[in-house]
Amino acid sequence: MSRIDSAAPPEANPLVRPPDRPDGGDGPGHFVRASVVMGWRWMTRMRTALYLLALLALLTLVATVVPQQPNVPGTVESWLAGSEGPGAGISRVLGLTGAFDVYGSAVFLALLLLLFLSLTACLVPRIRAFVRLVRHSQPPLVRSVGRTDLTAHLVTDSSPDEAHAAAAALLRDRRWRVRDAGAPDAPGRGTKPAQVAAETGLWTREGGSLLFHLSFYVLLAAIVFGQLLTFEGQRGLVEGEAGFVDTEVSYWSYRPGRWWGEADHRGWRMDLDAFHVDWVRDPLAPGAGQPTTFRSEVTITPPDGEPYPAVIDSNQPLVVDGMKIHQLDWGYSPRLVVEVDGEVVHDRFLTAQLGDGGAFYRTAVKAPGADPDVGLDVFLYPFAPDGDDGRPQLTGAPWDDAPVVIVSQYRGNLRLGETQQTINELDTSGLELVGGAYLRPGQTVEIEGVTVSFPELRRWVGFQVSDRPQIPWLLFGSALLVGGLILALYAYRRRLWVLASPEPGSGRTLLLVAGRAFQRPQAFEEEHARLVAALADATGATPATPVAPDEPPQDPAPAGSAAGAGAPSTR
Amino acid sequence: MSTDQLASLSRVLYSPTTLALYLGAAFVYLYALTTTVGRSAERERGRRAQRVGAILAVLGITTHVAHEIVRGLAQERFPLGNMFEVTSLMALVGVAGGLAYLQFVRKRPELNGFVLLGGALLLAMALLMYAEPGPLQPILDTWWRHFHVSLLVGAMGIFAAGFVFNGLYLLRDTAERSVAAARTATTRGSTVGAAYVGDLDTGDVPTGSSVAAAGGPHGDGPDGEDPEGEDPDEAAERAHAAAYRAALRAGVPAVKLAVGVFVGTALVSWVWLVEADTLAAGMQRFLTVNLVMVAAALLARWFVPFLPSTATLDGLAHRTIAFAFVMWTVGVIAGAMWAEQSWGRFWGWDPKETGSFLTWVAYAGYLHARATHGVKGRKAAWIGVGSFLVLMATYLVANYVIVGLHSYAEL
Repeated sequence: MSRIDSAAPPEANPLVRPPDRPDGGDGPGHFVRASVVMGWRWMTRMRTALYLLALLALLTLVATVVPQQPNVPGTVESWLAGSEGPGAGISRVLGLTGAFDVYGSAVFLALLLLLFLSLTACLVPRIRAFVRLVRHSQPPLVRSVGRTDLTAHLVTDSSPDEAHAAAAALLRDRRWRVRDAGAPDAPGRGTKPAQVAAETGLWTREGGSLLFHLSFYVLLAAIVFGQLLTFEGQRGLVEGEAGFVDTEVSYWSYRPGRWWGEADHRGWRMDLDAFHVDWVRDPLAPGAGQPTTFRSEVTITPPDGEPYPAVIDSNQPLVVDGMKIHQLDWGYSPRLVVEVDGEVVHDRFLTAQLGDGGAFYRTAVKAPGADPDVGLDVFLYPFAPDGDDGRPQLTGAPWDDAPVVIVSQYRGNLRLGETQQTINELDTSGLELVGGAYLRPGQTVEIEGVTVSFPELRRWVGFQVSDRPQIPWLLFGSALLVGGLILALYAYRRRLWVLASPEPGSGRTLLLVAGRAFQRPQAFEEEHARLVAALADATGATPATPVAPDEPPQDPAPAGSAAGAGAPSTR
Repeated sequence: MSTDQLASLSRVLYSPTTLALYLGAAFVYLYALTTTVGRSAERERGRRAQRVGAILAVLGITTHVAHEIVRGLAQERFPLGNMFEVTSLMALVGVAGGLAYLQFVRKRPELNGFVLLGGALLLAMALLMYAEPGPLQPILDTWWRHFHVSLLVGAMGIFAAGFVFNGLYLLRDTAERSVAAARTATTRGSTVGAAYVGDLDTGDVPTGSSVAAAGGPHGDGPDGEDPEGEDPDEAAERAHAAAYRAALRAGVPAVKLAVGVFVGTALVSWVWLVEADTLAAGMQRFLTVNLVMVAAALLARWFVPFLPSTATLDGLAHRTIAFAFVMWTVGVIAGAMWAEQSWGRFWGWDPKETGSFLTWVAYAGYLHARATHGVKGRKAAWIGVGSFLVLMATYLVANYVIVGLHSYAEL
């Protein structure tokens, strides 16, 4: 059997395929054709796949070490600014090479394409060979048993034909592919000795490997179509306040796939009744300060049905009409009322978010209705009990047992719509700081002619609503992947030959049971012993000591007699 | 018993008890390994030593399991919540799985010592990350998590056993190659005389050393009968075998090995330099880890002559890694399913996910390399060793260095 050694020079290897057409001469057409053929050959090589896998590992390594824009935009920003990471200069180079968004970069896309091209190039010939194999291959007959084969010798009173039939039946029972060449006119036997040849494991192993590799197409298709068909939206809700309806306009952040349409929304309504959160409050207890509960109690109203209550827990999303609702984020929601000259310019619940460092929650009041605009920079400390001096002692504890709101008042131009600003941050470039104060719930203060009151503190929860029709397909692809992998690594190809021949002079029959495993020789050694024992059982045979263990019978009538009992002789 | 008492009991069960038992068992087994080349009386002593080693190992596994249970009781949760617990369980799975595989499946108990030594090293490494028992964040305390993390941690432990086998393979292969090269050199490049190791330093003692060249006179089977037992030239044979062993050991340059292992470990252990509060503390941990690894490698080098054939070691590495690879694959998929359940997205390329994917790709590369002509063997084993470094580096980096990105403090 010729083997192609990719490490050896080409002249040391036989031609894979003789050139099937005469040299097309030169010219651009020939060059292109030759390049394509060469490229394809290069792609079919396992070594290429290894290089590509190494490149994939390298890119992934970069993405592990360098912060990624889609995951942590803030960290990327501070890398680029030089306040974190290796410095602004290196970060700029990283940015130019696309290292901050590896999985969105053209290099990654190209690599993915090459990987799938290489996979296809590897699989096409393998699938063809596999189909050919399944259709046409039969276990090969042997002329003699090789030195590397496992052998055992038996002797029985049955005739050779009976012994062959018994062996064939036994192996068929165990789902081997059996070729019974006991008869002299058996096809393909020629001058080879009478035998039963059997093979198993090849289809399973190679089939498993193909299944494993084909599962990547299923996964890829699921991911690509999933990107097109998926929907993900986010929306915050304050406890007890009006909820929202699943329509395009009601989401704060809206990320539909290209093929997602307005008609795909289900139109249910969700209201947040209560949000429960708790922590390990004992400062001396292990895990002090860690949260222990996140649970939302909501009411769902289907578009044409009765409202019903539901619960969303930290590992238990709510499924409504195929859409999954998760808790994504939460914060405190102070209601702040701002009056200027007796006129209310702001009265609603704010959605304060956890600030840097996690000790406080931060939000902002933007009241363009006043003249000039009123802006409040709001800091909320959930647990700030009064100290000895009667002033709040700010702690980092997150539970709202003694909340205090600290506001800094700005007047001027909020520049709403002019600059990009988040709802929890003021753009102070057009504003002037005029004063500040702190409030407990129920308190009212006046700062430079503006009355601020803090009647009530609630909580808000950020929900994510998603529709991912690709999930079942991803699960299917994963199942194929794991199943194929197990078969490819654990099934093993092995062959067995049972050669029965009459023992000269005694009228008994000698059985030679030879086996060869292409993988997992240890596992086969045990299996071979079991098969020999089963065959001895089926034919009423006893172990025999061959005369010349290293010289297996070259023809149906071996010389010498060996009826003596002894241990089954394995090599 | 109070929680505090349980906690301190679990601590004592872990270190020194389990650590000492593993180390003791490892050294007893390693001693037994050296007797496999001795006379039959010596081998009988080796067999007895193996029995002692087995008792110590079983005791060690028992106290290790007891530690996990007591710790679980102390904090009223499954002990898989932080780096210490994960590394500890990784060692437990590696030791129990590796020993069971060697003992019952492959029937090669003489290699148990190396698995136990690796387990003891992991155990000691976990002590660097020791954390007092405590509760788990609610988002972590689910059936999904236990399933997903147990699979990955189990796979990590078995990958560690595969790393040990790959390392031993590379040591043995290096030794055999340099002995073969020395032979070729003494016969001026001709391979005709290569079958005679006698040229090396015992004078001209013609022997059936093709047996020796294939895997050491007796290194391949502890219970094999001594073929030269009845030989009148037994003394010469023994001297020759000892010379061959010395040549094998000398075939692995100690300084190069030490430097290589130091640098290789540094690829992972730099994390402690970065993570520690002060440079001195970080340097202390960094140097401790590196020097312990160097010491372990030098110890393994001493046992090179007693190792089984490279084919056996390669097979062991492949089967263990293949098993762990399946576990890892299922574990990563389970992680994606949990992420979809918990965070509302199945894959987000965060450092943990990226790290587990990187490890998967690296080990996929190893499995493919083993099936590639011109790469399988030595190069594939290097890829296997590199994959384990990737595994450990991403495990530590994603937990220590990029802390905050994968924080569970928020929803």
